[in-house]
Amino acid sequence: MPRLPLGEWVDSSVDWLQAQFSWLFDAVSTGVTGLYDGIDAVLSAPQPLLFAGILAVVAWWLRGLAAGVLAFAGFALVDSVQLWDEAMATLSLVLVATLVTLVIAVPLGIWAARSKTVSAVLRPVLDFMQTMPAMVYLIPGIIFFGVGVVPGIIATIVFALPPGVRMTELGIRQVDGELVEAAEAFGTTPRDTLLRVQLPLALPTIMAGVNQVIMLGLSMVVIAGMVGGGGLGGAVYRAIGNVDIGLGFEAGVSIVVLAMYLDRMTGALGRQVSPLGRRAAAKARAASVKRPGAKLWAHRPQPVTALVGVVVLALVAGGTGFLGGSGGSTSTAASGKNSGHGKKISIGYIPWDEGIASTYLWKELLERRGYEVDTKQLEAGALYTGLAGGQLDFQTDAWLPVTHEQYWEKYKNKLEDLGSWYGPTSLELAVPSYVKGVDSLDDLKGKAGQFKGRIVGIEPSAGMMGILKDKVLKEYGLEGEYKVVDGSTPGMLAELKRAYERKEPVVVTLWSPHWAYSAHDLKKLTDPKGTWGKGDGVHTLARKGFAADNPEVGAWLKNFELTEKQLTDLEAVIQETGKGKEQQAVRVWLDRNPGLAEKLAPQ
Amino acid sequence: MSRLQADHLYKVFGRRTDEAVRRLADGADRDELRAEGTTAAVVDAGFVVEPGQIFVVMGLSGSGKSTLLRMLNGLLEPTAGRVLFDGRDLTALSPRELRAVRATKISMVFQHFALFPHRNVLENAAYGLEVQGVPRAERETRATEALELCGLAGWEKSWPDELSGGMQQRVGLARALATDADLLLMDESFSALDPLIRRDMQDQLLVLQQRLNKTIVFITHDLNEAMRIGDRIAVMRDGRIVQLGTAEDILVRPADDYVASFIQDVDRSRVLTASAVMTAGATPADCPADCSCRTVGPDTLVADLCAVAALAPHPVTVEDSEGTVLGVVPTERLLGVMGGLAAKDIEEQEVTARA
Repeated sequence: MPRLPLGEWVDSSVDWLQAQFSWLFDAVSTGVTGLYDGIDAVLSAPQPLLFAGILAVVAWWLRGLAAGVLAFAGFALVDSVQLWDEAMATLSLVLVATLVTLVIAVPLGIWAARSKTVSAVLRPVLDFMQTMPAMVYLIPGIIFFGVGVVPGIIATIVFALPPGVRMTELGIRQVDGELVEAAEAFGTTPRDTLLRVQLPLALPTIMAGVNQVIMLGLSMVVIAGMVGGGGLGGAVYRAIGNVDIGLGFEAGVSIVVLAMYLDRMTGALGRQVSPLGRRAAAKARAASVKRPGAKLWAHRPQPVTALVGVVVLALVAGGTGFLGGSGGSTSTAASGKNSGHGKKISIGYIPWDEGIASTYLWKELLERRGYEVDTKQLEAGALYTGLAGGQLDFQTDAWLPVTHEQYWEKYKNKLEDLGSWYGPTSLELAVPSYVKGVDSLDDLKGKAGQFKGRIVGIEPSAGMMGILKDKVLKEYGLEGEYKVVDGSTPGMLAELKRAYERKEPVVVTLWSPHWAYSAHDLKKLTDPKGTWGKGDGVHTLARKGFAADNPEVGAWLKNFELTEKQLTDLEAVIQETGKGKEQQAVRVWLDRNPGLAEKLAPQ
Repeated sequence: MSRLQADHLYKVFGRRTDEAVRRLADGADRDELRAEGTTAAVVDAGFVVEPGQIFVVMGLSGSGKSTLLRMLNGLLEPTAGRVLFDGRDLTALSPRELRAVRATKISMVFQHFALFPHRNVLENAAYGLEVQGVPRAERETRATEALELCGLAGWEKSWPDELSGGMQQRVGLARALATDADLLLMDESFSALDPLIRRDMQDQLLVLQQRLNKTIVFITHDLNEAMRIGDRIAVMRDGRIVQLGTAEDILVRPADDYVASFIQDVDRSRVLTASAVMTAGATPADCPADCSCRTVGPDTLVADLCAVAALAPHPVTVEDSEGTVLGVVPTERLLGVMGGLAAKDIEEQEVTARA
């Protein structure tokens, strides 16, 4: 069977598309970003609790007092775990994606309902869109639209479009043929038949489709978080990367609050806006036995009352938002000489500890020098694609020449290497220090029973897993005795944590620098035969032409260097200060190291 | 001028319809075409409906009667032939003109009522006027009148799903009447109703017709219904009209065995009239002075005639409104008619009489 170069074809057609239609993608990107920014600005302008109040009034109107109270409690919870801004960013992302999806899906669904040919052509296309794993859309999405919210939104749209189209088509098709005929028999035009008969009767089904579109959109936010979509997805992604169970749970619960709210509200809206739904609701009310308690909780204000409530809260919110905005603008006192003159610089990072530490260190340093810095958390592939595409200016966490070799090979023509600031890194197997008598790889031999015959590994695609299986085990004669368990980095860290707390013996794949060494008391197993090879340096990579555009920053980055002590100290301070306050931690650390800022970014 | 005229109407579904029409016109059988994947739903249908008439098309399911009806208002385009409505050829109209005709001149009542579930009774009845763009106040007045006419005063704000089947169909009827169309197409409109309610609706339709004098084309599979309300009846079989005539024509002179097999179940006492069973020109029997007998008119139904005959000691005399004697009905003849022998006997007698 000859190998069909399907992937290459797709690869080259993506390149071709990008070359030919970059103007189109730029336009789409600008449009979507504008829409997103606009909605986000509106949603995050009011005080969180006031906005929670507005949402609660809407819930009260649509579903009753109980729903309103619960909605308020849910959003207050989101605010109290300090994920409000993230939640609003996610809500904006979902709203934009839903809006665009519906604008495309409803007309397509109507068209498909009216034409068998269109329906037959659409069906396999929709199947393809829906079953293709959504992650697959992300990388071409970044190439076309750059990192940030846009590829996330586009991937969400592609993923959520099929149910929107299908439910619209189904809704219209299941309208009784005799009713359509009746409309025609009274001389109704096709357009009016659609507007007066088919759409009103299809509305409950179409609203069920809208509901599904929103739910699918929410399920995509985590994936969008991997390409710089930010919001709750970014928080979840960061939590996964750092095995931060607490943050993961808080962000997860916030997503659930949003999901429940949107699900219940669209469901209720479906009943409110469709005459058929109102009719069914009225019938249900007439049939249900009235209990006095239930009546209070089911009480719903008149639409006018609800509207007045929302408007009043919105006005208050608008007023305070305006006052708060003008009064509380925190001026980041730029100490020292302002040489940046507000020039914008965008830094991308993978949520690894040294990446977070160095990125926020540079954010703080550059802001002190008057630059305007924007940071984006990304998945590795997205980071390199964004850097190569020029949407990001630099990143500080490139492990070269080994770990990130594949990215470097693919994009080296579009990147410039500003040198290594930390190194060498090392790959190793590690055990907790309470495991006695195991200090080197040699010592593992014959101790398989103690470790249940397992070495807890990470992603099977990772370079170090290949070296471990093909080289390390062979050289030390451990093949057959130990089984390498493929998994993921968070899985490995979770397993390490679990075993560590029970004082069970465990052996894991690990690398330095890694925060696990400061979190737990671990031993790196020595490698007398040198099978792991020489370590990487942690490099700073910039987009092509960055140093020429910014000679000052380029020079600083080229000279950037940290010792192991400095880096682990900084990481520890960040860990102590807590999530979301990385830059604050950096300031504390810089205060403890006087003169360092001058050294790293000399005037 | 006739109100509605169907002129060699054909409706063929499938491929190469023109060729199929040609072959059907040459006398090809419907089954032959079906084997080739072409379905001939209506074959060479032709009839004339005069203003104020109730024209009933009777046939079993699959006989093409519903397809025929939908060609009359252009919901289906005939494969061949013409539909003349007040002298205008509907098949030649543009879609826009056709819609205008449907909105103002021809309305329709459906088998399963086809009421819009998202509109209340008044909005349903006003639908046709709404499509025409009649202002709200006027259309509500006219719809209310139509509902009143159909015995639904006071139900305007109700919803279709709150009404019984018979009432729903009254809404359907009111919707059709509200536009004040001249021609009413009724597609098995009473078939989905219970027998008692069906009879009730038939009566009401006849009463309404006396007041409004519409032209009605009524589709049914029930010959009793056809004979009860139809001024003229077309019997359809396999897409063709096999007999066209009054109820009495069909009952007394069925065109073929198919029609004859149909009329066996018909309650002939409620279709046949005195004039059909009397011995024309016979001299009335001598009547004793204080005889308990009554005379009857020629249009008296046989069912009523029986009641009269039971009390009379001699054959019943049939007179017209001026008192001229038209003939007599011997009791034996009456019994024979009721026994189902009549059609042939009468036929034979008439044949002998003509000869």
